[in-house]
Amino acid sequence: MTVFHFFNCAILTFGPHAVYYSATPLSEYDTLGTSIKAALVYLGTALVKLVCLATFLKVSENDSFDPYQELLKALIGFVDVAGLYFALTQLTHRNIAQNHKFQAVGLGWAFADSVLHRLAPLWIGARGLEFTWDYILQGIEANANLVLSISLAALGSLIWLRKNKPKTLIPIIYACAVIVATMPSITSYLRRGLGWHFPKVVGFELFTSLVMAFISCQLFAACQKPSA
Amino acid sequence: MESISEFRNPRSSSSMGSRKAREREMLDSVCSMIALVFFLVTCVELCDAATVVDVYRLIQYDISGAPFGSRLAKLNHHAGSLHFPPGADLSRTVLIIPVRDLNITFLQEYIAQRQPLGGLLFLLPRVFSFENKDDMRSNHQNQGNDLLKNVIAELEQLLIHANVPYPVYFAFEDDDIDAVLADVKRTDAIGQPATATTGGFKLVVSAPEPKKLISPTITNIQGWLPGLKTDGDASQLPTIAIVASYDTFGAAPALSVGSDSNGSGIVALLEIARLFSLLYSNPKTRGRYNLLFGLTSGGPYNYNGTQKWLRSFDQRLRESIDYAICLNSIGSWDNELWIHVSKPAENVYIKQIFEDFSNVAEGLGFKVGLKHKKINISNPRVAWEHEQFSRLRVTAATLSELFTAPELLESTGGLVDSRHFVNETAIIRSVKLVAESLARHIYGYQGNNIQIFADDSSLAVNPCYIQSWLDFLSRTPRVAPFLSKNDPFVMALKKELEDHTHEVNVQHEVLDGMFTFYDLTKARLAIYQVASVTFDLLLLLVLGSYLIVLFSFLVITTRGLDDLISIFRRPPSRKVKTA
Repeated sequence: MTVFHFFNCAILTFGPHAVYYSATPLSEYDTLGTSIKAALVYLGTALVKLVCLATFLKVSENDSFDPYQELLKALIGFVDVAGLYFALTQLTHRNIAQNHKFQAVGLGWAFADSVLHRLAPLWIGARGLEFTWDYILQGIEANANLVLSISLAALGSLIWLRKNKPKTLIPIIYACAVIVATMPSITSYLRRGLGWHFPKVVGFELFTSLVMAFISCQLFAACQKPSA
Repeated sequence: MESISEFRNPRSSSSMGSRKAREREMLDSVCSMIALVFFLVTCVELCDAATVVDVYRLIQYDISGAPFGSRLAKLNHHAGSLHFPPGADLSRTVLIIPVRDLNITFLQEYIAQRQPLGGLLFLLPRVFSFENKDDMRSNHQNQGNDLLKNVIAELEQLLIHANVPYPVYFAFEDDDIDAVLADVKRTDAIGQPATATTGGFKLVVSAPEPKKLISPTITNIQGWLPGLKTDGDASQLPTIAIVASYDTFGAAPALSVGSDSNGSGIVALLEIARLFSLLYSNPKTRGRYNLLFGLTSGGPYNYNGTQKWLRSFDQRLRESIDYAICLNSIGSWDNELWIHVSKPAENVYIKQIFEDFSNVAEGLGFKVGLKHKKINISNPRVAWEHEQFSRLRVTAATLSELFTAPELLESTGGLVDSRHFVNETAIIRSVKLVAESLARHIYGYQGNNIQIFADDSSLAVNPCYIQSWLDFLSRTPRVAPFLSKNDPFVMALKKELEDHTHEVNVQHEVLDGMFTFYDLTKARLAIYQVASVTFDLLLLLVLGSYLIVLFSFLVITTRGLDDLISIFRRPPSRKVKTA
């Protein structure tokens, strides 16, 4: 029965990635290689972040919100952005339309993130007899993360890959990118500083991810128009 | 064949085909690696229960092959409460019963009719826990506790003499278990007992099969305080023996601390030994009697240890014993003690002993009564320790607060015999009684009103000594088969006697074959809150529909509605094409 629960939570956490890949034109253009490369880049950035965190961060005894530490964590979080830049620009992709490139990179990024952060707790925890809602909430969080990663990849590709952008939209693009990039710090502030419970935080993440996806979609479409 | 096909197909498709094959191989190897990792990680098993509680198992033993007690230890069933709907199938349910709400007749019938049950978990009030450090000494003698005491005593007797084919455990009430029980009661009241499809709580005790204890040892400790032997004495000095049995027996062996039966006896013996060692340390005050202190084991089992101890005596030593005083349960009396004898009251020696004791008792302000119980040699049942002495023709008496002789495995220090119900003043008065009576006999002050062990003298009874030993004994479960040969407790008693006496001997014997015991007295119970299978099925349905909706949404937004329809209409369209 409990392996059943693990199976359910695994579907919730990793299913959307597979569905996204097969439903969108990504599968037709065979962009699996791009996604896998993006996943490997994510692995590399995770290791770099780990080393930086271990070197610069103090371990706090209580679970309170320390602004200095959180600022440091946010700065280290920008290593993420650097990794994404690397994945989008430096890796040699085959001739894929920019439209599909950012989707593939975002998908690979989100999949690696889910596997690294959520697979082990899921395997060890969801198989046990004890029932908690945590793993289902974690799966919803993984979904929100997928949307956020794709939005971040979209905004990144707009910033770095598209050369002619309407001048008015540039600050909006940068602002959205900053918001999406600092999402981890925002959620950690909500959880520790304001003391929100896990379901509330997940709901907030879901909401913001949908809003951000909508905004980045509109920005992408708006930037598409001059070249078209 | 292959070369022709290669020649025919355009280069791009062949290269794409090989690339696809390579990718598929890579995927396969990755999948098999992941499967291996999963398999390895399965071996990691963590306990993730919300609540883990210490539980104590009901004793499991055989008397001459007849099984008694709980015969199983492993537990893996759903929790239920007493409010179960009548006629429900309880063979896979563990009933959690707080002893406050226990209806003993219901349980009696249930066990007598041998109805199937998954297990029993009794919740005892914290008052009876010896790990409850605070309030250990306060005397909770209110009405509620007395009633509870009787219920628990009855329960204990019922369980000890029943053959229960499912696991029975005892636990102490605490917040976690109380919350679990409240939840279980609520679901039971709705009328839906917990099973695999309806969720609820699961109680798991993972324990190995209980094994027989092979050759359980009982250890007798004796201390010898020699008397003053003047040069002219050719024969051996007479001896007075003071004996107490130190082991207990109860429904939960890990909880059988026996503060009154016979912790009070042990403490009194040690204090008397201390006082007489002070007297005997100076040759001027050393009496003309040897003193033999005996801490025997095997008390609940017809004083088996005492019998073996006496049999090991030298004939001369046995004949030199003037009389023996056995101490049994002297910790919770108010104003009357009993001296139990097996020789009739007209016997000269008995008369003398009784006179000594009653004179001293009068001086101390309470009564001592004499009770005579004939021994039946053919009956193997030995109710008092002095009977073992009498069977070997040694004059002996037992000093006890109990009026009637206890039955087999009764009053042996079980669940209710905890520290709260023992009164140090009672023990102090008993010590004074025995010490003064012995001293008058030894030093020949019969009938005189002299107090040797007066308060505020150097020979006063030390209440701190009594209290500290009583506290220690009330924290030590002492069921003999579970005490190993070199158990720290036995070593502690030996060391204490060594401090007070001249020579200490330890005798290891094997408990008589009539009793067989099984191990496993303590375990940890894990309480899991489980969700039902229907919940997971529903979740699967919801997730399946979510993924399908997501798929359709993505196809519509990225490829257009026609594509979505074409996915679902593909088989018929192909047929049309070929046709």
